[in-house]
Amino acid sequence: MAQGGTSTDGITLTGVSYAVTGREILSDISLSLTESRIGIIGRNGSGKTTLLRLMAGLIAPSRGSVTVAGRDPADRKAMLSRLGILFQNPDHMILFPTVEEELAFGLIQQGRSKADAQEAARACLLAEGRAHWATAPTATLSQGQRHYLCLLSVLLMQPETILLDEPFAGLDLPTQARLARRFAALPQRLVTISHDPAAVATADRLIWIEAGRIRADGPPATILPAFTAEMARIGEADADADLSR
Amino acid sequence: MLTLTSPVETPFHRLPAGAKLGALCLFTALLFHLNSPLPLAALLAALAALHLTQGGTFAAHALRLLRPLWPFALVIALWHLWQRDPAGGATILLRLLAAVMAANLVTMTTRLSDMLALTERLATPLRHIGLAPRAFALAIALTVRFLPVLSQRVAEITDAFRARSPRRPGHRILIPATLAALDDADRVAEALRARGGAG
Amino acid sequence: MERNLAHIALFAALIAVLGLVPAITLPFGVPITAQSLGIMLCGTVLGAKRGALAVLLFLLLVAIGLPLLSGGRGGLGVFAGPSVGFLIGFPVAAFVAGLIVERWQAPVAAAALLGSVLGGVIVLYAFGIPGMAIMLGKTIPEATALTAAYIPGDLIKCALAALVTRGIAQMRPGALLSRG
Repeated sequence: MAQGGTSTDGITLTGVSYAVTGREILSDISLSLTESRIGIIGRNGSGKTTLLRLMAGLIAPSRGSVTVAGRDPADRKAMLSRLGILFQNPDHMILFPTVEEELAFGLIQQGRSKADAQEAARACLLAEGRAHWATAPTATLSQGQRHYLCLLSVLLMQPETILLDEPFAGLDLPTQARLARRFAALPQRLVTISHDPAAVATADRLIWIEAGRIRADGPPATILPAFTAEMARIGEADADADLSR
Repeated sequence: MLTLTSPVETPFHRLPAGAKLGALCLFTALLFHLNSPLPLAALLAALAALHLTQGGTFAAHALRLLRPLWPFALVIALWHLWQRDPAGGATILLRLLAAVMAANLVTMTTRLSDMLALTERLATPLRHIGLAPRAFALAIALTVRFLPVLSQRVAEITDAFRARSPRRPGHRILIPATLAALDDADRVAEALRARGGAG
Repeated sequence: MERNLAHIALFAALIAVLGLVPAITLPFGVPITAQSLGIMLCGTVLGAKRGALAVLLFLLLVAIGLPLLSGGRGGLGVFAGPSVGFLIGFPVAAFVAGLIVERWQAPVAAAALLGSVLGGVIVLYAFGIPGMAIMLGKTIPEATALTAAYIPGDLIKCALAALVTRGIAQMRPGALLSRG
């Protein structure tokens, strides 16, 4: 289900750099992302999470510009129906004491009434076979269940694109498989960020970020073997002793 | 979430929270106008009888909530016996017990959600001084949500310390706990903005 | 807006969590929780206004029935008890502590120490002692004598509040909103 690539569709980065206290984390990134499944891969500290936060409008670029569907993603209110974000750690994302409140919040933010949002949240849980979750305290859910709740709260808002930050980190294998199946069936454009080749192996397009720059860009079949070989080569050497600051 | 609301369902649970709070204010004002032990003892006895009609579990729960008062009760009792003023001591003690018991009764028979709704209603006039009711409700929800997260974090820090030391961390928990609250606050702010902000 | 709201909410939770931690054990074996230290930190770390709001939010949750005061106390009953003056003084204490760290451009540990002593002890007891005098039918000197036993522990907490505030300033300079 590849989507047509016009300039107002998808995510466009033009000459984007991002620096914190003079230290450049991303340098001169230009990308036009219109594919349905996009993977961004790189090592810890390569700048890939910063790239996601830029796309999400959570931080502003030091130079260059970012647009999502032709608009500035920093306008989060306007972005609610266009861009959803699934953070790596559900504990950083769940804001409410009960499951139902957590699900309803995004809908209320999109302008729906409280009663309406609550009803939609319950309907969603029912459709997922988890009606009994509604009044459960979010703190009592397991790690996998909390992750799932975060995904549901994003899906309920029906954004056109969803950014996934290390969506499988810390989850057991059955939960990973369930989530992967769920992702595969989604009609939305997905941008997945990971250090793990397996998480992005089925993408339409892969972008390899290294030291804040694009190292390679192409289909997984050409990118992944090179990435895996490079990671193995670095792992052989003792290359993890440098301090960045 | 652990609350002080009694799981024993009583007729008081069905009264509106606002009415209970109003009655409590009047009752407490009355207590402070009475200055002799007899009428205060009568009111306290009536209050105790009211608890007992709701069964032993309920009354025992109420009694447990009075436990933190015993050091004060002891001090007052000794003081007034020493001063040879038992009537004065009894007035103070009976008033204190009745006031705390009545307030606890409202807490024990009002669900957290009803209390929250009442608070939000009472806070509505505050919007004139810039406190949005929505931000207010959001702040309450966030605190309740992050109580277990933060205590879990403190437990983890304690474990990490004890894994490498025979002692309890004591005050050494304070800096990491405060940093955890600050870091969580930044992430919560970000998660809020990701979903359209607090405005 | 989001950042202020999140800090106020998280520090309200921090006060509650510190009420569970036996942070200090006095020489004769009495453990003191860090709850009132949490009140001081709200001021010295978040600043006067945010700090006072965090404390108010905490007290509101206590009032509506969450057992968040140290020793698992809570509900409306604690506001009818002898310690009510201290509870009313909590937000003012945080405000004063925060104000001093904001206004007095001394090294952060010194400002936090002075703020904690002025706010967390002097201002707090200025509310707490009359409260106890009224609730227990005592004179001000009598009530002062009743509370005096807690003052040494509170002074230790002031020193700790100063150390924690300095620690935050060193590790996360940007996070010390009172000096923002």
